[in-house]
Amino acid sequence: MTDPIVLLQILWTGAVTASSYVLLTVAFSLTQKVTGLWNFAQAGTMGVAFYAMYFLLNDMGQPLFIALPAAAILAGASGIATEVWGLDVLRARSSGNLTFFIFTLILAELIIYILTLLFGTEPQTLFPSILSPVHIIGGIAIGDWDLWAVGISVSALVALQLFLRVSNDGQFLIAVADNARLAELYGISARRAYCVTAAIAGVLITLAMYLFGARSGITPNSPMELILTAVIGTLLGGMGRVFMGGLASLILALIQSYSVLVIGSRWQNLLIYGFLFIAIVVFPRGIHLPRRRVRLPVAQPG
Amino acid sequence: MSVAVMIAIFIILASSYNLVIGYGGLATVAHPIFFALGAYTAGLLAIHTGLSAPLCIAAGAIVAIAASILLAASALRVSGDYLLIASLGFQLGLLQMIRNFEWTGGPGGLTDIPSTITGAARTPAYLAICGAVAAATVALIAWIVRGPYGRAITAMRDEELAFTALGRNAMNLKIVLFAIGCGIAGIAGGLYAFYYQYLSPEQFDVLQSATILTMVVLGGMGTTWGPVVGAALLLAIPQAITFLDLPPAIMAPAQGIIFTGLVLVFLFLRPSGLIGTSGRGAMPAALGVHDHSGEGT
Amino acid sequence: MDQLNIRRRALLQGAGGLGLAGAFVGRAAAQGKEPLKLGITEPLTGSEAGYGADFVTSMRMATKDVNDAGGINGRPLELVVIDTQASPQLGINSANRLATIDKIPMFITAWSAVVKAQAPVANREKVLELSVGANAPDIAKLGDYVYTLFPLAEVDITALAKYTYDKLGKRRAAVAYINNETGIDAAKLYKAVFEAAGGQIVLFEAYDPKATEFSGMLLKMRAANPDMVHVHGLLIDTPLIIAQMRQLGMTQRVSSYSAGYNPKLLAQLGPAAEGFIVTSLAPGVDDNKNLPGFLERWNNEVKRPPNGLPYLQYNYDSVLTAAKLYKYVLDKNQEPTGDALRDALLAIREFDGPLTGKTIVDGHHVKKPVYLLTVENGKFVPMARIDS
Repeated sequence: MTDPIVLLQILWTGAVTASSYVLLTVAFSLTQKVTGLWNFAQAGTMGVAFYAMYFLLNDMGQPLFIALPAAAILAGASGIATEVWGLDVLRARSSGNLTFFIFTLILAELIIYILTLLFGTEPQTLFPSILSPVHIIGGIAIGDWDLWAVGISVSALVALQLFLRVSNDGQFLIAVADNARLAELYGISARRAYCVTAAIAGVLITLAMYLFGARSGITPNSPMELILTAVIGTLLGGMGRVFMGGLASLILALIQSYSVLVIGSRWQNLLIYGFLFIAIVVFPRGIHLPRRRVRLPVAQPG
Repeated sequence: MSVAVMIAIFIILASSYNLVIGYGGLATVAHPIFFALGAYTAGLLAIHTGLSAPLCIAAGAIVAIAASILLAASALRVSGDYLLIASLGFQLGLLQMIRNFEWTGGPGGLTDIPSTITGAARTPAYLAICGAVAAATVALIAWIVRGPYGRAITAMRDEELAFTALGRNAMNLKIVLFAIGCGIAGIAGGLYAFYYQYLSPEQFDVLQSATILTMVVLGGMGTTWGPVVGAALLLAIPQAITFLDLPPAIMAPAQGIIFTGLVLVFLFLRPSGLIGTSGRGAMPAALGVHDHSGEGT
Repeated sequence: MDQLNIRRRALLQGAGGLGLAGAFVGRAAAQGKEPLKLGITEPLTGSEAGYGADFVTSMRMATKDVNDAGGINGRPLELVVIDTQASPQLGINSANRLATIDKIPMFITAWSAVVKAQAPVANREKVLELSVGANAPDIAKLGDYVYTLFPLAEVDITALAKYTYDKLGKRRAAVAYINNETGIDAAKLYKAVFEAAGGQIVLFEAYDPKATEFSGMLLKMRAANPDMVHVHGLLIDTPLIIAQMRQLGMTQRVSSYSAGYNPKLLAQLGPAAEGFIVTSLAPGVDDNKNLPGFLERWNNEVKRPPNGLPYLQYNYDSVLTAAKLYKYVLDKNQEPTGDALRDALLAIREFDGPLTGKTIVDGHHVKKPVYLLTVENGKFVPMARIDS
């Protein structure tokens, strides 16, 4: 199985499929960076985004260029609502991590139950057909969906990077991420930063759910599984390192895809949890590339 | 009456979980995996060896304790916050392993756990046993938190920095508490295995974590009777809702909506839960801010 | 005086006799009304409720038909339905309740995990557990009180594997199966049968139930060069695998079991589904003269298409089977206990169901003809009927 065509095919298909996970991880990691919270409510946002698109496309017969932006707006709005009416209140009460965890997890479950009530539990795809045209280039099968996936995710990530580097709001996000109280002293509204983050996350999540839903059946429970990979990617990439989180998700997906050549497919999921555990115990600050910046050696306990 | 047995088992689970997060302030969600370890150990021993039920259950508890020490020792030395995600990964990873091994029954489940008590008196007998263990659990935990260790635990949970500065070992105390809580969960698992005679990985998944968490939060974290009330309510109410005779497609999500809604309402309006001291201001310490050192963003 | 006495005595005797007769008639009438109960444990809520609720509706229809025809020796049949949510734990609770509290000697159930979980209860309490719809092969080994009225995977998978070798002429099959109780034993069975017929299994891979990306496994499969692919999975993964196969340029024919017999799959796959082979264990409208009437009644009462029609056919007939068991036991003046009903099942052996035809209960196994269908021009068409 060392045929280069096969290896290349796995690389391409694996990377392309990973693109949706990368977007979800980036959304989760960005939120974690700016707010310091593990926001499990994003699972609810995933459901909202998907079913909004599904409803608009299938029940309302709307075209994609209306359905997708509308869903993104709804997803962003739900994130902002969670911020303003939920997380802010808890912050004002000096709530601990456990409270935030309970709140976000239970909120995600509530949204999932509501979606189950409205849409049932049968798997749904955004479009009736999950096939897209395929071109064989140099022996590698490259589908139209593949190109969309790569195009959309790369554009989104580039846009995000530009936003964070160049725009005022982007800079404020970084400032709040570093030290919210200090940033407020400089007149930067932490709350605004949190809301902007929620909006960005909403857009990224909607794009990801579009890519998922175009080729695979989604149920109201699917987001709960998806968010786990986002969590793992965030951990592996290192807290506060958003794009590294995305990269970690990509690499993890590729490792999973390639591992099938060596071990049975059914062990793929176990690989993820194995990595998670190693990450937590051995690399709690994420896996560092040695040349990144000058750091004083940090004594690792134990 | 078998619902009563389930309530008794969940009282044991919820109380032991409360010890860990309510009193110990350890944010973990992996309680069901220790439940599972106890259940599977007891079940497998019962099937493959001739050991008596109490011995099998005891073995289950020991396995659960060992696993909890492993998890706590690894994750806690890094930072208290990591315990949350570490425990989630630990739970899911172990469940995945259980699903993939044939000797645990695989995804189809472990069946044919031998009967211990048979006949018409079976359920009442189990109810008596589980009820007794539940009562013992509640009493034990009450004794722990009110006795000489009680103040140490509260001090550690509320002001860890000061606690450590005074020369007390927070880490050891946390590990001990965690081990006790998980060991009790292991006992609950053994009881569960012998009563139901069937185990499958689905029964110990994240949904179970959320259920036990809900019981503790609703009942009142960091109180003695909170988990008891939470467990009883959470198991009895679905039975009651069934009588409303809603169409099936509405019933299950409706139950879910009611429960998650309740938790959120309580979280905001009455964080102390049903049993805790009332008022919006009264928040159990476990839900309040911790001064954890070491992690920045 | 004597005449008065005689008349009074006659009157008394008459009155007494009448009274006694009246009491007798009264008790018979009351007994005639005392219903015979049948436990039903199905998912009425939860993710499987779409199927479970329809199963119950089908069974209620059958019950009505039984009672309209006079019941069982004049006694009405009554269903006691409990929700399992397809969860093993709730299944155990419901079985316990039926056996120990409601004291019902027989119940119908489904979903392999639930059937297995309930088995210890049935065996312990000595009530007859009838599985209708679940197909895990080890249901045949769950104990003396657990029987199936629905053919287990061994029936349709065996027929399919043999047909693939004998009639389709395939020699190198690849098997991809979902790593849970739906897939594991059934896939092993396919492998065993295909190899016994003389074929070769070139790939035998389990995939995680949550997987959505199969290119690694499919590339392995492509390299192994099969001439037939059998996919044993569920509603989300099966179309994904077929779609990804086609997109990797694999043109082999694909087969699956009865879960693949789903029009939604055809919509998702479009032309990629051509040639797809599935099994069905119930006769279609062309093979069964009662089915059109059932469908019409269903549409009138439920006002939408049924979910899992073949299973509904079995569920309907299972109620009639249960009624026959009760009748057999009552006709012999026996107490309808789990033991008696089970013995009745094994004694009667052959049941003629209006919607599924003749079913032979051979101990813990059921043999039925298997219908193979394939996709032609975007539609499922009958391909073969295999009698065992």
